[in-house]
Amino acid sequence: MLCDAQNKDSFEAKWPLIQPILIKLLNQEPIKKYEWFNLFSDVHTMCLWDESCVPKLRKELETNIVDFICSIQDQIKRHEDDQALLRAYIGAWSKFLDQSNYLPHPFSSMEATNAKSNSSMNSLSQRKTPESHVRKLMLDAWYSSIFSLIKQRLQTGVMKIVYSERIGEPFDSQLVVGIRESFVYLSSDPDDRLRIYKDNFEKAYIDSMIEFYNKYALQFITENGIINYLTYADSKLKEEEKRAQKYLETGKGSNSLELHRQACIEVLISKYQELIYAECNNLINNNDIKNLKYMFELMDRIPNVEPLLADLETYIVSEGLRVLRANFETITMDSEKYVEQLLELFNKFTNLVEDAFNGDPRFMTSRDKAFKSIVNDTSIFQMDLPGSTQKGKPESRCPELLANFCDMLLRRNQNKKLTEEDIKEKLSNVVTLLKYVQNKDVFMKYHKAHLTRRLILEISNDQEMEEQTVMMLKDIGMPPEYINKLSQMFKDIKVSEDINDKFKQVARNNLHNINLADIINIKILNAGAWSRTSDKIAVTLPPELEDYIPEVEKFYKNEHSGRKLTWHHLMSNGVINFNTKLGKFELEVTTFQMTVLFAWTNRASEKLSYESLKLATELPDNELRRTLWQLVAYQKLKHQVLCYSPQVKQSKDFDENTLFWINQDFCIVRNNKAQYRGKLNLIGRLQLSTEKNREEENQEIMFLRAERTKVIFNIFLKFFYKVFYI
Amino acid sequence: MKVTIKGYTGVAVWKWVANDDTCGICRMPFDSCCNDCKYPGDDCPLVWGQCSHCFHMHCIMKWVNGHQKSNQSCPMCRQAWKIKEK
Repeated sequence: MLCDAQNKDSFEAKWPLIQPILIKLLNQEPIKKYEWFNLFSDVHTMCLWDESCVPKLRKELETNIVDFICSIQDQIKRHEDDQALLRAYIGAWSKFLDQSNYLPHPFSSMEATNAKSNSSMNSLSQRKTPESHVRKLMLDAWYSSIFSLIKQRLQTGVMKIVYSERIGEPFDSQLVVGIRESFVYLSSDPDDRLRIYKDNFEKAYIDSMIEFYNKYALQFITENGIINYLTYADSKLKEEEKRAQKYLETGKGSNSLELHRQACIEVLISKYQELIYAECNNLINNNDIKNLKYMFELMDRIPNVEPLLADLETYIVSEGLRVLRANFETITMDSEKYVEQLLELFNKFTNLVEDAFNGDPRFMTSRDKAFKSIVNDTSIFQMDLPGSTQKGKPESRCPELLANFCDMLLRRNQNKKLTEEDIKEKLSNVVTLLKYVQNKDVFMKYHKAHLTRRLILEISNDQEMEEQTVMMLKDIGMPPEYINKLSQMFKDIKVSEDINDKFKQVARNNLHNINLADIINIKILNAGAWSRTSDKIAVTLPPELEDYIPEVEKFYKNEHSGRKLTWHHLMSNGVINFNTKLGKFELEVTTFQMTVLFAWTNRASEKLSYESLKLATELPDNELRRTLWQLVAYQKLKHQVLCYSPQVKQSKDFDENTLFWINQDFCIVRNNKAQYRGKLNLIGRLQLSTEKNREEENQEIMFLRAERTKVIFNIFLKFFYKVFYI
Repeated sequence: MKVTIKGYTGVAVWKWVANDDTCGICRMPFDSCCNDCKYPGDDCPLVWGQCSHCFHMHCIMKWVNGHQKSNQSCPMCRQAWKIKEK
């Protein structure tokens, strides 16, 4: 019976039954349900009873499939036209792909037997891979007997379609997708599923793209120039990217898009980068935002924007310096114009970076770098810090001009037209510019001097705004020792106001001082915050004032013991009534001016020689000359307070016998009309220190700079110790 | 012609009158403040002992408070620390 069964279920007996159904299946002809079922049972029983059948069955299957494929191949090959060939191939392929999905099912028993017969070691790993042998057999057969034969034709056909799409002719994109799928699915190698696709389709696609643009990009450049090419390249890149997403495999494990992108960049941009970079300068100079934007986007794909950065920097520096040089006259005289000019440039460059380079941080850094060199440029404005240790090394005047502008904003009566918001905005503009200033300490030196003047003369516009300004300066990292001093000054001036009130109260209670209390205000300040050194300048004060000094000193000693007062005559100031035969005037004067004018007390109409004025005032020579010059040649005045003879060009040229006298015809001229009553400020810019002090201040700046360098050096050393001795 | 004073603002600066430049405790100059303060001047005053030595008030208070009552002496001369009233 066994023998009988064996015969009945042997391969030779069963195969004739199986074959017709198989062929029907391959041809996708309809089969009956029972035929389908029989196929399963036949294969199953055969494999069960006849162990030797598997190789035979496999061989027969292969022959049949190859035969079938060959017949298809004949049909396909018959098409001469590429499109028709592709269409036919895709049709046959998609059918075949369907079959490869269900044809293996009936033959699964064969595979099970096959697995059993193999060594048990392999069986484990084979069960893990669900890849069916029959399917593999089918795909391999397809690959060897049809695909490898017409692969080349298929590929060229597809590339032709893509080509016609590129040049804008009608095309059938479905064909491309179909062929690509066939390339992807054909691989039966489980380790590298995309191998066939990669070696053939992907490579061919990219190669054809490169070839296409090698030809057309160059053609475009020669015909339309490099500037128009920017737009062209940009649009083509976007187009190619879209196309690649459609036609290339995007599934897992495929890096086609990346490869394609690289190839695009290479063929469309990198190849012509020298040409493109060469245009950058012109575009920036012409402010051609649109094309710059294209250029930036193209170059950022490589990515190599270094040459653009360099061009931008050169442009900013040269343009900035050109504009400043062109307006040299106005901006050195007028700090407001200077600041406005700088701001205008800054905004211009910022807008350029924003618009043309999308505000890219790398370009912002370049702008900062270039702008810094404009601000700190020494070829246009320079100043010398006298007494500096590095003599001859010039510094930009920028910090000084910025400080002057701040002073203008913060001083009272200077900006009647400006609202508080305007001033705030302008101040924050200054702060923006200040960030780029290298010698921040110089700015702080000037700012401190201006602030001192404003606080002493009480001409500050708004205390709150002053303090806000200091906070802003602190926020942008101004040297902390200066910031500290400034805040100390604010504090100190408040303390001094309290003391002044107290002093007045005490003076009023003291009957014979009632007059004094009305006239005198005192500002007693902490030496540490305001000025490091104050030279005692010998001067003969008007008798009224000589009297009050001991009063104040007595009062202060009662308030605070252990403190020593030094009078700071340079900063002291007052208002005098100046009556001439023409009218009555109020003059705001410095102590020294006051002293000089009081020399004429009781001898108002006399002419006094320089020598006798020197005796009367006891002022040092240079201070006396300076003061007299202010009184005989005050810039804004038509009629000076004092007259002198003989005429000289500068204060140095007064000699001992130069005569001075009160100008009895003094009057104030406003709008070409003489006025016989009124107020006049002769103080101008309050002198804060003598020559010697100024030198000391500069030395202090140098000293602090050296200290900071030392600190940085120490931090650096510590860092190295840490690194090397851990 | 007549010149009279209508108003006058006298500016003076003050310094500590001390027999030394720096505080013997914190070694900071008297013109500057002790280590705990930010601003010199009224916020960080000096005090004089009966022994005539002088320190930042904050410094000597710290020193005195760190010792027992019986042992509160001037760090410079070891005399008993008593603030000199003026």
